[in-house]
Amino acid sequence: MRISQSPAFRYGIALAFVGAALGLSLLIQRSLPDGFLILFLSAVMLAGWFGRTGAGLFAVVVSTILVDYYFIPPYRAFFVELEQVPYFLSFLLSAVVTSWLGSARRSAEEKQRAHLDELFEQSPEAILLVDLHDRVIRVNKEFTHIFGYAMDEMVNRPSSELIVPAQMQAEALNAREKLARGEDVNVETVRKRKDGSQVNVSEVAFPVVVDGKSIGYYMIFRDITESKRAHDRLQKAQAELAHLSRITTMGELAASIAHEINQPIGAIVTNGNAAVRWLGQQPPYLEGAGEALDCIVRDANRAAQVIGRIRSLLRKNPTPIVQVDINEIIREVLLLTSYETNRRQIAVMTELDSDLPSIPGDRVQLQQVMLNLIMNSLDAMTAITDRTRQLRIKSSRNPDCVLIQVADTGHGWEPQHSNSIFDPFFTTKKDGIGMGLTISRSIIEAHGGRLWAERGTPHGAILKFSLPISAKAE
Amino acid sequence: MKPSQNCVFVVEDDPSMRIALKNLLKSVGLESELFASAQEFLEADRPDVPSCLILDVRLPGLSGLDLQRELSAANIHIPIIFITAHGDIPMSVRAMKAGAVEFLTKPFRDQDLLDAIQVALAQDRVRRQKESELAELQRRLQSLTARERELLPLVISGRSNKEIAAEIGTSEVTVKVHRGNLMRKMEAASFADLLRMAADLKIPYTKV
Repeated sequence: MRISQSPAFRYGIALAFVGAALGLSLLIQRSLPDGFLILFLSAVMLAGWFGRTGAGLFAVVVSTILVDYYFIPPYRAFFVELEQVPYFLSFLLSAVVTSWLGSARRSAEEKQRAHLDELFEQSPEAILLVDLHDRVIRVNKEFTHIFGYAMDEMVNRPSSELIVPAQMQAEALNAREKLARGEDVNVETVRKRKDGSQVNVSEVAFPVVVDGKSIGYYMIFRDITESKRAHDRLQKAQAELAHLSRITTMGELAASIAHEINQPIGAIVTNGNAAVRWLGQQPPYLEGAGEALDCIVRDANRAAQVIGRIRSLLRKNPTPIVQVDINEIIREVLLLTSYETNRRQIAVMTELDSDLPSIPGDRVQLQQVMLNLIMNSLDAMTAITDRTRQLRIKSSRNPDCVLIQVADTGHGWEPQHSNSIFDPFFTTKKDGIGMGLTISRSIIEAHGGRLWAERGTPHGAILKFSLPISAKAE
Repeated sequence: MKPSQNCVFVVEDDPSMRIALKNLLKSVGLESELFASAQEFLEADRPDVPSCLILDVRLPGLSGLDLQRELSAANIHIPIIFITAHGDIPMSVRAMKAGAVEFLTKPFRDQDLLDAIQVALAQDRVRRQKESELAELQRRLQSLTARERELLPLVISGRSNKEIAAEIGTSEVTVKVHRGNLMRKMEAASFADLLRMAADLKIPYTKV
């Protein structure tokens, strides 16, 4: 409730309180002769609170005169008997103090209110206050800046009609239901401005509770267009880096890839020659030729698959998030690196949980992580001659995530480097660039998972990562 | 040459390539036996006929070059034709030095492989022939008495019966009898024949 500040009102209300005190005092005088004291002091206090210092003192003066006239002997006269002077003065003093207390309290409250108003107005975040029916009660300056509405254009209109774009109505309704249950809402979403353009915002909303009852909702918006843009740019840069790193890794695997493609091609040529010979015989041996041709078709498909796999790994654009079988990804990457493991005489052991659920993920990125971890292990073991070179890959299921472990018997890393192995440009390889683990970790974290490393006992390294079974956390 | 009298062994880890090789060999009437790894080949019973080995260089576990070395150490002299998906020169030099018949890079011309197989099988037939001849000579050598064996180096060194008799402290007549037995048991038609046998058996001459 807002109170008019006009002097007529303030003095008028002082007079009204004092008048009321007089009336009541006269009424109860008979049964309670000193009752007027508390009534007049209350009137003075109320006058001070509502009308502030001036009206308070005015009430003191009027009260003093009336009290003297009606309640201090001699009655009905504007003077004071000598023996009544201390009593009269103590009333006067009480009245002055009471008036001061009332007005001081009032001014403190007003100051506080002014501060709160200032805070509301000057907040760098857009604030919207709506009632329980979503009608706008008040917005602040920043709100008008972000959304382009003037304050008076919004009042009493439903906020969701004004600022929620059509595609977000369901989400907004959902948020409103949460608020109605007394819960807070904290989302990153899209809202629309007066001109219809859209704005990325983070929204925090909570009920305004008075005496245990919601009377409305506060909604606080922050324009995150800039930070979102920066985030998008960062993501794009990371994707480009990941792509470059894939190209680099594929470069290292060139011999492997050539081998993978050459095998089926060699088989195709050989089968083709066999078929030609069988067909050239008199009479032609059609059954054998048919078998050879079947083999050719199968091997050609296999070569096409190899090329397809490599092309997808080299693809620049992000692939969609789909349900992926992590065991299949492990097997595919092992196929790609089989030539390398073979060449470097590394024994590969897999222990893949066949009951692993599929998880939502970017297939290419997860392949890249596996590829990075495996190549790291292979590189770490190449110089090892005094023990078996062993790559162990294990997948298992935890209650809410799948866990993948890549263990090797390589040179590992010095204990003092335990904290730096995920840092960009940290490498233990002579010609490494030190981005593999950094990129892998950012990929796994973008999937809502975790990637960490342990030192193997007695030697080697164990890289582990977990991926949540349900949709990613981000 | 009857095809069934030969056998071509194929050690190749890639199943497509293995089948393709089998088809190619079959199309020219060659029997083949397929193995996925060097170990499998080593553990298998191999038919005792002229044969050769088509061997992939890169194999899981024991590599093709390792297998070549193992076979040679075990005195198994089967002719080897190497095939590889990615020929590198140092590797092929190593293989050829260790006695490989041919070193082919996939994809190879079928005729190159088939020619190499013919060369390898011919080589193996000759080797087997020589081996069986040598085994026969060894058998004959084993049938000699100690005295006759003592006489052999002296005889092939071209000494007269008189000289030999003096050397081993017996009569000329006895030497003549021993010498006759020696020629008969070794089935030597002439002195020149005996000399060739002694050379095959690597029996050293005795210096005068």
